[in-house]
Amino acid sequence: MTLDINWRRWRLVAFGGFIVSAILFVAIFANVVAPYSPYDLDVANMLAPPSGAHLLGTDELGRDVLSRVIYAARISMMVAVLASMVGLIFGTIIGSVAAYFGGWVDMVLMRFMEVLFSFPAILLAVVLMAALGTSVVNSMIAIGIIFIPGFARLARAAAIDVLRKQYVESARAVGMSNTRILVREILPNIFAPLLVEAAVAFSYAVLLESALSFLGLGAQPPEPSWGNMLNVGRGFMANAAWLSLAPGMAIFLTVLGFNTLGDGLRDAFDPHLRD
Amino acid sequence: MSEPLIDIKNVSKEFGGGLFSRLAPFKAVSDISLSVARNQTMGIVGESGSGKSTLLRMVLRLIQPTSGEITINGQNVWALKGGQLKAFRRQVQPVFQNPASSFNPRHSIQSILTAPLEVHGIGTPAERRDRAVELLERVGLDPAMRHRLPHQFSGGQKQRIAIARAVILGPTVVLADEPTSALDVSVQAQVLKLFSDIKDDLGLTTIFVSHNLAVIRQVSDRVAVMQHGRLVEEGPVDDIFDNPGNDYTRNLIAAVPDPAFARRNRAGTAVHPVSPA
Amino acid sequence: MQDIRKHAQGAAGPTLSIRNLTVSFAGRRQLVQAVKNVSLDIWPGEIVGIIGESGSGKTMTALSAIRLLPHKAQVEGTIHLGERDVLSYTEKQMRALRGDRIAMIPQDAMQSLNPSMRIGRQVGEPIELHRKDSASRIKTRVRELLASVKIGDTDQRMQEYPHQFSGGMQQRAMIAMGLALDPELIIADEPTTALDVTVQAEVLRLLREIRDNTGTSIAFITHELGIVAELCDWVYVMNKGEVVEQGCVDQIFNDPQADYTRMLLDATPSIHGPRDEVPNV
Repeated sequence: MTLDINWRRWRLVAFGGFIVSAILFVAIFANVVAPYSPYDLDVANMLAPPSGAHLLGTDELGRDVLSRVIYAARISMMVAVLASMVGLIFGTIIGSVAAYFGGWVDMVLMRFMEVLFSFPAILLAVVLMAALGTSVVNSMIAIGIIFIPGFARLARAAAIDVLRKQYVESARAVGMSNTRILVREILPNIFAPLLVEAAVAFSYAVLLESALSFLGLGAQPPEPSWGNMLNVGRGFMANAAWLSLAPGMAIFLTVLGFNTLGDGLRDAFDPHLRD
Repeated sequence: MSEPLIDIKNVSKEFGGGLFSRLAPFKAVSDISLSVARNQTMGIVGESGSGKSTLLRMVLRLIQPTSGEITINGQNVWALKGGQLKAFRRQVQPVFQNPASSFNPRHSIQSILTAPLEVHGIGTPAERRDRAVELLERVGLDPAMRHRLPHQFSGGQKQRIAIARAVILGPTVVLADEPTSALDVSVQAQVLKLFSDIKDDLGLTTIFVSHNLAVIRQVSDRVAVMQHGRLVEEGPVDDIFDNPGNDYTRNLIAAVPDPAFARRNRAGTAVHPVSPA
Repeated sequence: MQDIRKHAQGAAGPTLSIRNLTVSFAGRRQLVQAVKNVSLDIWPGEIVGIIGESGSGKTMTALSAIRLLPHKAQVEGTIHLGERDVLSYTEKQMRALRGDRIAMIPQDAMQSLNPSMRIGRQVGEPIELHRKDSASRIKTRVRELLASVKIGDTDQRMQEYPHQFSGGMQQRAMIAMGLALDPELIIADEPTTALDVTVQAEVLRLLREIRDNTGTSIAFITHELGIVAELCDWVYVMNKGEVVEQGCVDQIFNDPQADYTRMLLDATPSIHGPRDEVPNV
């Protein structure tokens, strides 16, 4: 057993997990699941409402909206996974190092984190994108950087708690090196809350990525992304609402799925709620 | 008394009061000198805030003294480097108080016991496992339980494992900080018995810190009484307990509720309202 | 034995009378009994020790008298506080009793005091809750109470917050709060475990004094034989949910009947060195 889980709380986890794995499945096998190519134009069928041939209708260039939403899931998931990973990895390293060494190391690292934290997320993302240049990879990095302070704070708080435990003192007393203590004694014990945070960060990453591409800073047309689809759909709200409803629903479902999964995991890991 | 193995000379520790701190430094330990002879147990007794645990951690090289010198076997503990420091870690081991936080909850008992050997590069994995098995048997636990996690053991069993971990590197000095304070009395009695048996078998020199005067009396050869970071008095355990030379020690001893009280004083005195007399 | 206690008291009946109390919890497979068929009495003005190790059911027994057991607990038997059949009381009736007729002194005073409320206000809270007294009369009473638990400089102290009090002072404040409405019974659940021995000695002396002055009954839950020896009049020894032995302190310590009591006595280290050196009376 590596993680103590309260399986009584499994229902939330199962519900969130189901939505999340469905979306991940669709994203990974987009080329199999999608009925059409997301780029194929069908000039005869522009702005066609949902029908048997095009379940979610077509856009202003006659491309199948369902297929575009499915392919867009790929980009969203990729950005969200990698951005959360960037945040998780760097945040955990910074937070646990700050907690372990304390003193000026802690001071410098955490003040820097607070500076990052003090900017509104979307503003920081826009600034970072402007500095890095517009691309999917860069939006991933930008969103990842936004997540670092949150993970770092959480990792630091959890690590400080673990540092008070006598087994860390015992590890010092047998002569374990700092790196070994961090990896063997501390990291495994702060992992649970960080994993929960990662699930929540994930849904936030989906929102941020959509916001960035909505603003034209993320995925570039013709590459489909939920954000840029929303942006285009905005112009056709009155006569072709499905153009914006489809990506909107996709964002909604994804965020719901990850938040439910995160909440469920939080409860499952929380020793106070455990029987 | 044979030559001292542990020698603490004029050791002080101040906390806080750094360059930017507005608070006055707090003197946790002030000017303590103590020495412990080979194969002896020094009991350190004191109430909360007496500095007894801080002193122990300075000997363990976990907290650095502000001033003074601690030597073990003639070597200055805080001047050790490299190979000497590694040798010191093998020689001096702790047993801590809280069974609940003594072990990393995610490691099996076997992994907890073999980790010190791994760190010091002793033996092959098979040899380390054999050593863990042997020690579990020595402390009275079934070696078949070695794959279990710490939370599957009772408080008393955990303290047995803590003792096994402390001696697995073959130390000469074991420093115990309230090792039985969290245990029920019946379990405490067993763990104390195990502790002194192992101490005798391996010829250990130990310092035993506790707030419990009765426990200190049972395990120690000499006792040091601490209050507010200072050494109040030190001497052979029977002398100190039977003829305390200091008011603080006298008060401390008088304050201990003692089961023998009923036997000696209460029998027949009939001071309480429900006495059959 | 029971007759001796009753006779000596010359009282109409016990303050607390528990008969055949069984407390059980639904476990995974079967019902787990935390308290098994326990009967005990506490007479007016008596300090009764309930002693046992962890898992003995001592706390569960005491908590059932004030009906503060976890909701999942299934309780059988009868509990009488004076004439009141406590187990038949509604939650609302119980609330009226708690803090008024029965008071509880907890193990950890720091955890039990509200860190953001001044001591004076907190000690007066039971009066505020249960009586409709004027603020000035409550204040006078709080002053009296603090003086009775030996907290000097009362006007200054009433204005302070819990963190400004030492551990022993916090526990005294909790005792003052418990005494606020002259309860018939005080349940003290290991109230000195978190304290240093010298402070513990003062608190124990205080409890004895309070009993002598007010005639309240005290149920003292502890795992320490020494405390029972010095403080209590009558003792119930519990092990694994059952009362294994009861008796007056002299008898329990000088002539223990149950094997468990004997084991407990042998296991407790004495400050006077190995047991055979203790002078036997």
